[in-house]
Amino acid sequence: MTQRYRIRWTKVARTRFISARDLTSVWERALRRADLPIAYSEGFTPHPKVSFPDALPVGVSSTGEYAELTFAAPIEPASDLAALSAALPAGMDITTYLEVPDGAPKLAKMLRATLWELAWPPVDQTELGALLSTRSDELLAADHAEVIRHRPDGDRTIDVRPAVLALAATTRPGSHARDAHTVLRAVLRNDGPTVRPTDLHAALSRGDVAEPHAVLRCVQGAHEPEGVRDALGGEVEPLVPDVDAEAA
Amino acid sequence: MLGTAPVSLASTIPARGARAPYRRPGREALPAPSCWSVLEPLLPKVRKPVQYVGGEHNQHVTAWEAAETRWLLCYPDTYEVGQPNQGIQILYELLNERPTALAERAYAPWVDLEELQREHAIPTFSLETHRPLWAFDVFGVTLPHELGHTNLLNLLDLGGVPHRSVGRSTEDPIVLVGGHAAFNPEPLAPFIDAAVMGDGEQVTLEIDEVVRAFKREREPAGPLEGCDDAEARHELLRRLAAVEGVYVPAFYAPRYRDDGRLQRTVPTEPGVPALVPKRTIQDLEEWQYPRKQIVPMTETVHERFSVEIFRGCTRGCRFCQAGMITRPVRERRPETVQRLVEEGVADTGFNEVGLLSLSSADHSAIGPIARDLADAYEGTTTSLSLPSTRVDAFNVTLSNELARNGRRTGLTFAPEAGSERLRAVINKMVSEADLLRTAEVAFAEGWRHIKLYFMVGLPTETDEDVLAIAELGIRTYEIARRHGHANKVTLSVGGFVPKPHTPFQWAAQDPPDEIRRKLSLIRHAIKDHRGIKVRTNDPEEGVIEGLLARGDRRVAPAIERAWQLGARFDGWHEMPTLELWRQAMAETGVDLDWFSYRERDQHEALPWDHLDSGLDAGWLWEDWQDAQADQQLDDCRWSACYDCGVCPGLSIEHDTGYTGGFSLPVVPSRLGGSDELPITPERYASGP
Repeated sequence: MTQRYRIRWTKVARTRFISARDLTSVWERALRRADLPIAYSEGFTPHPKVSFPDALPVGVSSTGEYAELTFAAPIEPASDLAALSAALPAGMDITTYLEVPDGAPKLAKMLRATLWELAWPPVDQTELGALLSTRSDELLAADHAEVIRHRPDGDRTIDVRPAVLALAATTRPGSHARDAHTVLRAVLRNDGPTVRPTDLHAALSRGDVAEPHAVLRCVQGAHEPEGVRDALGGEVEPLVPDVDAEAA
Repeated sequence: MLGTAPVSLASTIPARGARAPYRRPGREALPAPSCWSVLEPLLPKVRKPVQYVGGEHNQHVTAWEAAETRWLLCYPDTYEVGQPNQGIQILYELLNERPTALAERAYAPWVDLEELQREHAIPTFSLETHRPLWAFDVFGVTLPHELGHTNLLNLLDLGGVPHRSVGRSTEDPIVLVGGHAAFNPEPLAPFIDAAVMGDGEQVTLEIDEVVRAFKREREPAGPLEGCDDAEARHELLRRLAAVEGVYVPAFYAPRYRDDGRLQRTVPTEPGVPALVPKRTIQDLEEWQYPRKQIVPMTETVHERFSVEIFRGCTRGCRFCQAGMITRPVRERRPETVQRLVEEGVADTGFNEVGLLSLSSADHSAIGPIARDLADAYEGTTTSLSLPSTRVDAFNVTLSNELARNGRRTGLTFAPEAGSERLRAVINKMVSEADLLRTAEVAFAEGWRHIKLYFMVGLPTETDEDVLAIAELGIRTYEIARRHGHANKVTLSVGGFVPKPHTPFQWAAQDPPDEIRRKLSLIRHAIKDHRGIKVRTNDPEEGVIEGLLARGDRRVAPAIERAWQLGARFDGWHEMPTLELWRQAMAETGVDLDWFSYRERDQHEALPWDHLDSGLDAGWLWEDWQDAQADQQLDDCRWSACYDCGVCPGLSIEHDTGYTGGFSLPVVPSRLGGSDELPITPERYASGP
């Protein structure tokens, strides 16, 4: 009697440097430490049934990771998944779970859009904010925005524009002026050719905007006029964060 | 470019004279600054950044001010190679269990990060809290082999610590080395403060106590408060030298003959021992470490929960330094092994268990241990493995047991030499009949691939002996083919490097051209047998290892120069450093031929003669003579003592064959030429 759960989880702090390749064993060991009856695939080298819809680039933080876990025996989700969360390395936490009924649509189908956040250090804030706003407006007004993606196996030209659903440049005030960050939030489609925050940066930068010093995958789900609705929890993460609420 | 972060530098390393506040014991200390905030933004630019972040399950973090002594334990290679090391993990746990001590870990940064570290003034750092090397009291470095020496110098330099011992003050850490290569620390003599020989458990705690007492005495109102710095440091080194098993190179000097050969290494400091003994823990049961093993968040060379099932080895293979210097054999009880495994697997979540030792199938209760663990994990995803040097059918039986949860793929055997004669020379007691019978059994029982380990360049070796490797491979392959056309045989052939404290310590090493010629003889001989694969290392690889293994203090300038020329990671294919070394040797006048390719005689003193591994010098010489006369020596675990010198003086003998719990008769392993090896030896079937 198997049981499937979908979870939303975080990958922040030190764990943002764990590669997609290493992630499976990190989860397997945490599941074994928490002593949960994860199901295993058949075959010569059985793998735990933990699936991730897509890989997060190494170094990128996320509060919007998802996974589907298949258990070989029923679990007590509230306490068992809390135990699993505690067994994961610091920086990886399970924040939401949902049991999956038979016939549910695939997890990837529920993650049609991603809210990304690119942040720059507290320098050139006025200029940078204005420039990012202008470039964002221009990008949204254009039909195409081709950039070159550099890869070890050769350069590729991709069109960023079809993936862009919404863009907003803001400044996030810190407690001191020196902590304030310039922030670009973007809603990108997941259901077309993959466009990453690095590609978006390339499209906006035109050679005069530094690479963001931090990139965060905030949440994934459905694109809504005001932001992105979390596929599991259902709440909407706004495109333009409510600065007052954050400060409070 | 808009939004460019200003180049950030880690906090400047305080000059000598300003470091003392960070080093004070307990709450008096200023916390050492972490470099994390500068390091973190750089990590996306380097390969495998997760190796630098720490935060693994079972890491131990202690507040700086909560400890009186602070250790940085280091394996001078990359994290993926060094993290599984058991020695570091044992000492890490032991020190952190101590309420007054703190231990963190460091590994060598790969060259990409080193470049960024130098650019951003990031010192050698600890993984746990990213604190700088210069602030710790002891830099404890394990040297499992010789190829980490340049990395050691580099880590010191990067860590704000003078790489030569004479340049250090009490505001620098004590640089302490241990591990197998510390049995000849002479090439490192100018760079280290002390070396520890033998088992590290007890002696590390004793050293910690010495450092703790010394630091207290340096505090205000303490007896050493106003003491001149050089005098105080000398006092600390004297106290360390008084700990049994600790060797302080600065207190000894070599005397050379006119022809350049070593005459003797003599003490120059009153009161230090003329012969420094190695340390030996007597009962492994009292030292059940490491229990809380680090669980890496990235691939490492051994990802498993490891339990050392015994320490030491009595096989007497004459080439094997580990086997010689870790005597006598001390076994862990089967029930302890079982408990450590079960607790460790539950705690770490590892899905593989390694039963470690130099030859794990030789544990007197390995049968029951393997059976009970296989029972406990049958039908689970937990797998078991053990390294073994035995070449007999029992090994196959054992492997069958361990492979209950998986498919029977590859088995490895180590005959080491191709001919019966040469196996007698190296004292590897296995006959060709044993080996072929074992292969027959293995393939008949469904194993698909046999890997055979050999060496070339062994003493007395002729081309006939070398060709015998190919012949043995061909005969094994013929057996393999009879049992299935897809079955495979791999010959793995390495070049022999003579090591200190072995009967072969007097032997000449083969130069790389000679090794290359011998390898090509093998390749040529098997060229018509496409199913046999030959794997070899680059013959040049043994050159640096050989020089550093048996070099003396005159080799030190070459290490220093090679490091300055850029040599790092000398054991890595990606880092061909041999040309840098050749240049360094030329510039410093180190004659490789003289150090490595020359046979020594009985009258020449060896650089490690004043370091006592427990082996009787006379016995080693006799065993070297026996070797050259093709004389074998029995395994003293099962047969009469031959007075190698290790056991007398210790209040122990080989500690095997426990009674109570599992009672197993200690019966001789039936190696050494018997044609009648039972597939299931009696001792395997036995139980309570």
